[in-house]
Amino acid sequence: MNAIMTQCKFELLRIFRNPYFVFWTLFMPIVFYFIFTNIVNTGVPDQNEWEAYYLMSMTTFSVMGSAIMNFGIRMVQEQTGGWSTFLKLTPFPAWAYFTSKMFGQLTMHLLSIIIVFLAGFLINGVSLSFSEWLFSGLWILMASIPFLALGSLIGTMKKVETASGVSNIIYLALAVLGGMWMPIHTFPAFLQHVAEWLPSYHFASGAWEIISGNSPDWKSYLVLVGYMFVFMVIATYVRGKQES
Amino acid sequence: MGNVVQLEHVTKKFGKQLAVKDVSLTIEKGSTVAILGPNGAGKTTTISMMLGLLEPTEGVVKVFDKSPKETIVRDRIGAMLQEVSIIDMLKVREVIEMFRSYYTSPLQVEELISITGLKEDVLGKWANKLSGGQKRRVGFALALTGNPDLVFFDEPTAGLDITARRNFWEKVETLKSQGKTIIFTTHYLQEADDFSERIILFNNGEVIADGKTEEIKRNLATRSVSFLTDDKEVMALVQTFHTVIRCFEKDGRFYIVTSDTDAVLAQIFQQGIHAKDVAIEQGRLEEVFEHLTSNDQEVM
Repeated sequence: MNAIMTQCKFELLRIFRNPYFVFWTLFMPIVFYFIFTNIVNTGVPDQNEWEAYYLMSMTTFSVMGSAIMNFGIRMVQEQTGGWSTFLKLTPFPAWAYFTSKMFGQLTMHLLSIIIVFLAGFLINGVSLSFSEWLFSGLWILMASIPFLALGSLIGTMKKVETASGVSNIIYLALAVLGGMWMPIHTFPAFLQHVAEWLPSYHFASGAWEIISGNSPDWKSYLVLVGYMFVFMVIATYVRGKQES
Repeated sequence: MGNVVQLEHVTKKFGKQLAVKDVSLTIEKGSTVAILGPNGAGKTTTISMMLGLLEPTEGVVKVFDKSPKETIVRDRIGAMLQEVSIIDMLKVREVIEMFRSYYTSPLQVEELISITGLKEDVLGKWANKLSGGQKRRVGFALALTGNPDLVFFDEPTAGLDITARRNFWEKVETLKSQGKTIIFTTHYLQEADDFSERIILFNNGEVIADGKTEEIKRNLATRSVSFLTDDKEVMALVQTFHTVIRCFEKDGRFYIVTSDTDAVLAQIFQQGIHAKDVAIEQGRLEEVFEHLTSNDQEVM
């Protein structure tokens, strides 16, 4: 138990000290948020609603980035550098190591949510009810788990360069096509259909629903859980194959 | 039982490639064993199986009478592997602290510093940004963090200069005096000779010699009889002689390595071999080692 606590502490430290993390998952979304709610004239009818809506988009964008990029690339680094092998020699079990990493990530996600929410409040004075803040935050935290599964799938790649290239592309594609940058109703009909099958759309959509006073659509639960299973199964399969 | 490591008919295949062939051996508590052999001889594969990192294709590997994968076993072993890059974003001190949390009775940081000769200022450095020598020291410290009874060093001194090598072995002497079992692989025959009580010589995945360092030296560094001859059939004939360990041809000279030069000479004359310029040489261990493990035109 003591070992797991220590491990969690160091995992957190490592994430915090990573400059890419700070840049991609905090700085970028907040800058985007500022630009699209203050500088670019989006011509939306209800500016207040847009500011809250776009805050949810950028928070999910931030958390998704950390889950896909940080988690997966770190795993590849530890694998290729021989560190994972080295750890196998210690009495610290692999599951405990993985759990600590998950814990570190989820704590990071929680912090990212708080920081980006706070930025929305400070930049635009976004005001939501306490339960809207709470439940949208909780939704984003929980619904980030399928993206950690995607991260662990990227973590099975053999080279750091491939992993970082692929995860960048997936991350940006998911963000744009899922309507995190621009609402999907501005998309052509064909792309709207695509979006409805993407985990990123449902990730953000759940949060959008919560701040509009609804609860997330059952379809969002279904799609996200479905993707999580698929990612986990493939990642486990690939890992099993690599080890044999 | 006194056996710390036990291998029974262990074979390891990678696809069709045979990396280790039917190896059986036991290593006793408190001994220092050198695993010697050229690249690709199966040293690292064998060590990896002892460490539970690789599963043998056939046979059984036991460490402390259990599977090396068991947590209780892991708690009692430490290892320095080749080419491990320590994770980023942590200081050396933090990595050591992290490792200490893994074991039931770890050594204190001060103890680790005194055993490994790790410098205080290195503790404050980023663990993934160390010089080669510092990295090796940190690896040494991590191997000993759990105060292990059994320590593995895989090519611990490769790429180190002479002073650093001597330093390292001095530290290992201390471990030996504490009664720890030490298994190391090396390219340097001299190191095996100086620091081990037992040598296990690997070639092409097989153990080709195993015994006390002194014995190996006596047996391997045996004398050889050499001569010049025009007779092409000699090789096959000489193979059948008593006391012949092996024969090879080098620079036109024909060499017979034997434990008894007198017996070989007697047989040469008995068989009426046309041998000219006969000489008896005292084989050096280095030379024997080279021949045993190289793939030149040697006939065995």
